[in-house]
Amino acid sequence: MASLTLDGLTKSYGDVAVVKSVSLDVRDGEFLVLLGPSGCGKTTTLRMIAGFVPPSGGSIRIGDQDITGLPPWKRNAGLVFQSYALFPHMTVAQNVAFGLEMRKTARSEVAPRVAEALRLVRLDGFGERYPRQLSGGQQQRVALARALVIRPDVLLLDEPLSNLDAKLRLQVRLEIRALQQQTGLTTVMVTHDQEEALTMADRLVVMSDGAVRQLGTQSDLYERPADLFVADFVGRSTMIAGTVTAPGAFRSDGGLVLTCPASAVKGPATIALRPERLTLGPAAHGLDNHVPGAVSFVSYLGAMLDVHVRLNATDHVVVQVPNRSDGLAPAVGDAIEVGWPASACLVFPREAI
Amino acid sequence: MAHVSQRPVGEPGNLTAAGLLVPATIFVAIGLLVPIAILFRYSLNAFVPGKLMVDALTIANYVKFFTDPFYLQVLWRTVRVAVACTIFCLIFGFPLAYVLARTQSRHKNLLVMAIVLPLFVGNAVRAAGWMVAFGSKGFVNASLMGMGLISVPIEIMYTEMAVVIGIIAVNMPFMVLTLQSVIEGIDRNVEEAAFSLGAPPMTMAIRVLFPLALPGILAGVILTFILAMNAYATPVLLGGPKFQTMGPLVFSTFAQQNNWPFGGAVSFILMTVTLILTVASSLLIRRRYA
Repeated sequence: MASLTLDGLTKSYGDVAVVKSVSLDVRDGEFLVLLGPSGCGKTTTLRMIAGFVPPSGGSIRIGDQDITGLPPWKRNAGLVFQSYALFPHMTVAQNVAFGLEMRKTARSEVAPRVAEALRLVRLDGFGERYPRQLSGGQQQRVALARALVIRPDVLLLDEPLSNLDAKLRLQVRLEIRALQQQTGLTTVMVTHDQEEALTMADRLVVMSDGAVRQLGTQSDLYERPADLFVADFVGRSTMIAGTVTAPGAFRSDGGLVLTCPASAVKGPATIALRPERLTLGPAAHGLDNHVPGAVSFVSYLGAMLDVHVRLNATDHVVVQVPNRSDGLAPAVGDAIEVGWPASACLVFPREAI
Repeated sequence: MAHVSQRPVGEPGNLTAAGLLVPATIFVAIGLLVPIAILFRYSLNAFVPGKLMVDALTIANYVKFFTDPFYLQVLWRTVRVAVACTIFCLIFGFPLAYVLARTQSRHKNLLVMAIVLPLFVGNAVRAAGWMVAFGSKGFVNASLMGMGLISVPIEIMYTEMAVVIGIIAVNMPFMVLTLQSVIEGIDRNVEEAAFSLGAPPMTMAIRVLFPLALPGILAGVILTFILAMNAYATPVLLGGPKFQTMGPLVFSTFAQQNNWPFGGAVSFILMTVTLILTVASSLLIRRRYA
């Protein structure tokens, strides 16, 4: 167990930079998630940590040891793949024992450690089966046991849940998190699923275009996004484009005059609004910003309703309201007032997302 | 609701599927099994010079083959050449097939074409090319002498080496393409998993890659071995008149000596030995890796 440090890690193929100078500190025992849309460089970053992709620049350290130049088989990293990547010609026990054999672990020690690892992932008694005889969730747990049994310095998870169906995903997600806390392993996981990332991580890294956009806890990313990309990618936001006319004053392209927190942003700007921070109906009236609008669309989410409200020809917002039992849901076409406090406005310089 | 048949295609009782097998079965029966049966019957006949074939029921032809050192020598030489060719094809072919299977290159199709290219040239034409290259004033000797590595031309033409090289060149594409298709079906992540668990490349290959590629290795070995055992043009042209192997022997016995009963026996021995060695090698490889 150790900390993992990436320092200016870079990968380019020819002129194309896939990972641009990524520097991260993963603390000992921390669960760090690399989150980003496909093609953002998160998988390449993970593969550089695992040793499958030679970096074009920068360094990787586990604890005090520089492993940048080490081949994968000399880096004590446990790896779990999206496709499980179990050895199909070996039994579950043989799969789990493989890493121990490679480490020349004493024969007498192998069997108990394999049994212990399988017990850890609740698969005791499955040792003699072949991977093809197991369900997807079970196979992924074998892959996990195989990675854990070697007592790796770091555990690397490459979209480990993407091949599982939705229900199983929720369950395995919690299991992986519990296992990670139980073993105290320094863990880096790559995912494009933000819900997965938010529920599992200690800290998250949002990447796009090969660069780190923001590193922080869930609430850092959600409540204090560093830029418009993070505000858009983590959670949901509706955007209102406009101009900051004076500190704390914003005028939208559609002509709305809004109060927002005073910030360093000047000139062309975009305001991001979280749907749950907005209020509908008469209660909106006392808030810093309140605008009349018309309901254009209502989407039913079960416990919640997403109400899309058109404010004028260019601006519209999405408001999330509880699905009330009295049936007083807004209907399409209703004239309605929307309000939100100034603090709900996240103001960013205008940029293309 | 309408009943939908759950029976998979090819299940017994499926008349359509059975019907599809008929043409191939008839073709194999008439084109292969019947001639083999006739040939086997011939091999039990007696040969009387001048009268050609005389109806009989004798194993004299087989006895003649297995008691004459000359014929045993031919058989042994054929097996030796075929085994050598197969082993070299596997050793050289596997890395090539691996690279071909794993390459991300846009030119992959061109690479596959380059592998198949030798097959565009007929066996005899290719062997003629080798003759030019191997001759005492040929390309190989001229190059070596030009580089000052040798002073006297080395004897390649009409040696076993020439025949082995010639057959390898013909059989390599079969081995490579067979292996390539199987290796492509192996998840790259499985190899990476082995690396990450501490297996260096050679260990990974032995413990993971070879066992998973086993069906391809078997198919490739069988294919190249059978082709090498039955090679005709290459041993005739590159081995010369003194380098007898089974394929040319079958032909000369039939066509030049007109000894059909003995030719039938030689054919049968060639077929049986090929079959036995193929099955034996499959069992051996399977036991080693499965």
